[in-house]
Amino acid sequence: MEVLNNRGVEDYQTAGPKQSYFSPYSFNGGSILAVAGEDFAVIASDSRLSEGFSIHTRDQPKTYQLTQNTVVGACGFHGDVLTLIKVLKARIKMYLHEHNKDMSSTAVAAMLSTILYYRRFFPYYVYNIVAGIDDEGKGCVFSFDPVGSYEREPYRAGGSASSMLQPLMDNQVGFKNLPKQARVPLSKEEVVKKVRDGFISAAERDIYTGDEVVVNIITKDGVEVERFPLRKD
Amino acid sequence: MFLTRSEYDRGVNTFSPEGRLFQVEYAIEAIKLGSTAIGIQTNEGVVLAVEKRVTSPLIEPSSIEKILEVDDHIGCAMSGLIADSRTLVDRARVEAQNHWFTYNEKMSVESVTQAVSNLALAFGDDDSEQAVMSRPFGVALLFAGIDKGGPQLYHMDPSGTFIKYEAKAIGSGSEGAQQALQDVYHKSMTLKEACKSALTILKQVMEEKLNSTNVEMSTVTAEKKFHVFSKQELEEVIKDI
Amino acid sequence: MEASLQMEFWRNGPQPGALYNFPGSQIWNQNEPTKRTLYPSVTGTSVLGLKFNDGVVIAGDKLGSYGSMARFRDLSRVLKVNDQVVVGASGDYADYQFLSEIIEQRVIEEECLNDGFGYTPSSLFSWLTRVMYNRRSNINPLWNTYVVAGWENNAPFLGYVDKIGTAYQAPTISSGYGAYIAQPLLRDALEKKPNMNVKDAIETIDRCMKVLYYRDARSLNKYELAIVTKDGVEIRSPVTSQPNWEIAHLIKGYE
Repeated sequence: MEVLNNRGVEDYQTAGPKQSYFSPYSFNGGSILAVAGEDFAVIASDSRLSEGFSIHTRDQPKTYQLTQNTVVGACGFHGDVLTLIKVLKARIKMYLHEHNKDMSSTAVAAMLSTILYYRRFFPYYVYNIVAGIDDEGKGCVFSFDPVGSYEREPYRAGGSASSMLQPLMDNQVGFKNLPKQARVPLSKEEVVKKVRDGFISAAERDIYTGDEVVVNIITKDGVEVERFPLRKD
Repeated sequence: MFLTRSEYDRGVNTFSPEGRLFQVEYAIEAIKLGSTAIGIQTNEGVVLAVEKRVTSPLIEPSSIEKILEVDDHIGCAMSGLIADSRTLVDRARVEAQNHWFTYNEKMSVESVTQAVSNLALAFGDDDSEQAVMSRPFGVALLFAGIDKGGPQLYHMDPSGTFIKYEAKAIGSGSEGAQQALQDVYHKSMTLKEACKSALTILKQVMEEKLNSTNVEMSTVTAEKKFHVFSKQELEEVIKDI
Repeated sequence: MEASLQMEFWRNGPQPGALYNFPGSQIWNQNEPTKRTLYPSVTGTSVLGLKFNDGVVIAGDKLGSYGSMARFRDLSRVLKVNDQVVVGASGDYADYQFLSEIIEQRVIEEECLNDGFGYTPSSLFSWLTRVMYNRRSNINPLWNTYVVAGWENNAPFLGYVDKIGTAYQAPTISSGYGAYIAQPLLRDALEKKPNMNVKDAIETIDRCMKVLYYRDARSLNKYELAIVTKDGVEIRSPVTSQPNWEIAHLIKGYE
């Protein structure tokens, strides 16, 4: 006999099985930007943590210092960010104990790639950029996708305002579409200024970027941190 | 009947009242039956040389391998129960590749040695833990390699102890060879000198007459990485000694 | 043929022998895989938190809602963990009870050691974050948002963790509906008076709870207040905010 569908019959209609939606992911916004210099690297992020139209906090920078001269910028789903950073810090300590040396920035980048790929089928929803000093003493920047594909680049923007920051850096740091004479390697101070201006502009248009920009300046001697205010609305 | 001294060498994990693990010590003794192997570290690189015991003219000498490649930049010479070394060298290779896979850098010689030494005491005669071996490994290893700290030579014995050396001899002729190494070694030795010394000392401690088929030699240098000497290259060195 | 005739005969009713499916009731399909808590049932609404000069205060009302029904009117959603930590919870009340029992058991075990150590606000916060994140990673979440408040290293502590493991610390925190209504009020109050004392903080929280009672349909004007200072935890319950509906008749157009 034809069984009635599970919605009951006319006049006795039910809503059917009640399904409430659970998503293990969320997007908490934030932008990161890193630039490699000759013997330095600069990596910056804003400090706003949001969800939907709410601002959770105005003071949660998304750059994390991992070693003497390695800083990672990580944004996306903040729960995954927190976990990933904890995993990275633990792995770097284990490496130190096993091999009696600090991890190099390049090794951190390679390891991060494997950590991300091991979660290929339940990924960390995190956009990462690693900045530091390589084995030759040169500034280095590595950008990642959430499942571990990575690449060394001269500069890279990530996160919610990446589509605004990246083309600006293409022009201002990568000297794209500029006459030859304009292509002079930038000093630390110039890079910091351009990065800061980038964030000020991004905060104008991106609601997930704002409050403060935290700039990390990495040299062989360590990391210096500077903060500048951004729009808070 | 029970508390006689020899009772304590039955269990592989039983200490004697004097605090010794007899089975481990016996394993170290087993090395002294093995063929002699020598390693010398210089500023240019490290050399490994071993004797092959070709006990019958019907043996194909090239099938006796006592120097193996662990990775591009690390080689390993052995003495003792060569079959036991396969497990250890396998581990060394896996660890080295794993390190490269994860960190995209070469594993240091010390770290490889450390990783392998973790296996050395992973034996046991009870079923409670699944041990790889039921007895200690009967082989000693010389790890030669180049990393950020320059050329390095490490010795590891069946107790898992590993020590960095400038020059080290293991195997049946090790006592005489170690003394000879002490006399001949100096810090500014060139790699060429080291190769020559290694073969000279091997020649002194070997029962057979040394020739290009009954020795094996290899170097690890920054330029050529791990390199096994060909018959011609060996003869080139042998003619000078 | 006969089947369709019978169907015609039983129009507007259940099949012979079957039960009526009343509107809103759930229909369970036996063949479905087992389900986790994928939606809350009895829920608590917003929890508010505010740091002040020498302490921190959190508040949550005493209502347990069952959907839109105000089902329980005297539930406690604030847990005193020890003399320096309190936790407030919104979301599924059963999940909160489950976790609070675990926390209480762990506190007992910790006290049995009698070594002078105990949960600090930051250690409990970190543990809670791991629990929430691991549950969400197994797609078996605890449907709550927790606000951890306490006193540590001679400073107030205030942290937020939600059901997917998002966690942060901030000087003002509001979960649930309070994020839209109370959070701006709290931030504004703190900006205007950055060095509040206990009295200022309690007054600010009370005002926010009152506004939430006006605007949040799942709230109650009876709430619980926890104040943590260097001297320990004080819980005030129930605190009743007196609403004023005098101007309510001026609002027209929603009848």
